[in-house]
Amino acid sequence: MIRPLRVLCLVAVLLLAGSAPAAAHNVTAGADLRFAQTIAGAELTVVIKGTSRVPGPLLIGVIAYEPATGPPVGLEVRSVEDGHKVTATAQPSATPRYAKLPVEHTGPHELRLTAGGEVAVLPFRVLVDRGSAGEFLIYGGLLVAGLLLVGGLLTGALSRRTPAMLLAGGAAAAVTVAAMVVVFEPALPPPPPDGAVPTVDTRAVGAPAAGRPFARGRVTTLPASPAPGEEFTLRLDLTDGSTGHPVDDLVLHHEALAHLVVTSEDGAYFRHLHPLRTAPGRLEARLRADRPGRFLAYAELEREDSGGQLLDGAFRVAGHAPAVLPTPPATGITPVLRPSVPVAGRPTAIEVGIGVTPRQWLGMSGHLIVRSQDGTFFGHVHEMGVPAPRLRFTFSFPAPGRYLAWAQYAAGDRIVTVPFTVEVAEALG
Amino acid sequence: MRRILAVAALLAAALAVFLYVRGSAPGPLTLTSAGTRYAVTVVVPRPTAGRVTAEVQVTSGEPRTVTLSTVMPGMGHATPEIVADGQGPGRYVAEGELFPMAGVWELSVRLNGAAGEEVLVVKAPITG
Repeated sequence: MIRPLRVLCLVAVLLLAGSAPAAAHNVTAGADLRFAQTIAGAELTVVIKGTSRVPGPLLIGVIAYEPATGPPVGLEVRSVEDGHKVTATAQPSATPRYAKLPVEHTGPHELRLTAGGEVAVLPFRVLVDRGSAGEFLIYGGLLVAGLLLVGGLLTGALSRRTPAMLLAGGAAAAVTVAAMVVVFEPALPPPPPDGAVPTVDTRAVGAPAAGRPFARGRVTTLPASPAPGEEFTLRLDLTDGSTGHPVDDLVLHHEALAHLVVTSEDGAYFRHLHPLRTAPGRLEARLRADRPGRFLAYAELEREDSGGQLLDGAFRVAGHAPAVLPTPPATGITPVLRPSVPVAGRPTAIEVGIGVTPRQWLGMSGHLIVRSQDGTFFGHVHEMGVPAPRLRFTFSFPAPGRYLAWAQYAAGDRIVTVPFTVEVAEALG
Repeated sequence: MRRILAVAALLAAALAVFLYVRGSAPGPLTLTSAGTRYAVTVVVPRPTAGRVTAEVQVTSGEPRTVTLSTVMPGMGHATPEIVADGQGPGRYVAEGELFPMAGVWELSVRLNGAAGEEVLVVKAPITG
């Protein structure tokens, strides 16, 4: 008798188990969202700390990596389901104070950031964990068993045999359900939290989840032909390759919706920016170029349920004369390469002695951007190892030739860029 | 004693099946979205693959036209726009093949009116 009962209980528990939600821009208690943003000329990271209950407060702070001189950043959280809005301001700082923004519901929300006349709208979802069905069955089963046992004892004491047996049998069943759930619950996936994106198990109809279509990006500038020294907007419009719709499902990829690297064709000009989402499928960054000519833009991003991808484009800066822009002083750092002449297709170790232990920036101690001289190849390498006063990277340059490289890290109150070039030899044999 | 235990086991199984069926039956979908110009509640009484009827209740704003279209991001599928018929103040009904297959669809509601145009997107889980 116990055996079929155990099977029944297991089936019941399996049926009640839900599927886990896909990870996207989800804010839950204990799992912060970190968005890098280049806004009003400053490199900032916006941190949203989740709440364990609704109504409840979201804590939002803005981390600065450079001296914050501008006005505070305006924050507005809006529920996309009912339009409920709350606002606050946050002063960017290396150790930010967190503003409290109470939210009423779980589900989709938008954070609107405003600073220096620029606006970004960041979509995210507020999730709150709910108790599992397993817990309900365990405590419910034990409660029912307790009540039935008391009833059984009382009716037994009154010599009413059949009701006493019925109650005792019920108590045994309830205890069995609770015990089985205790045994099997750890092996089951947790139920989706409140506010999660709905999921449908489509395996039954033969439609497995298989990532998302590729995105195409169109790079334009406003104005169309900016002059050296003139501030302009670099716009990236993202389109889904299968539907033609705007791509508005970017997830955080190394703490940003997109990493935008802009270099002049000769490589003398370099910017690594985190553009603002100004509309569905539209990313924008403001910048100034220091010279006329052709510029190359690379955007590294990731769609939901997909891997990372790279989009690129080019634009022209008009005119003949260069402009002088404020630039940080040269670092004087020369990276050490092993082997000293890298071989195409083989791993090269690159060590950059920086003399200070870097701050974590974009989730890493350091970043290495690599571009082939002709601009047809682009790489983004991450520092590995424990924080130390040096950055270590390993990268296999795919083909012989000259590469332009920029190592980047955050230290003190600035982001430092170390530019260098690498000559890669052909593999022998 | 055995008979009683068997009855208890059957009761437990019936409870489990009841909870499962209650949790998974494709009941009516009610989805809400609030933009800066309009707010809507979309009701799909029978959210299944194939032809469906979808009712858009405009809870804020006064659109002149309301059109619906869908995208399944995972598969890269998209459907043509369907113009919803006005059937009373703030009530629009569209009928057509919005969800060609089961899965999670993004239902876009395009609203046009004196306040301008806005597209509100809700996620519609479609089973069966």
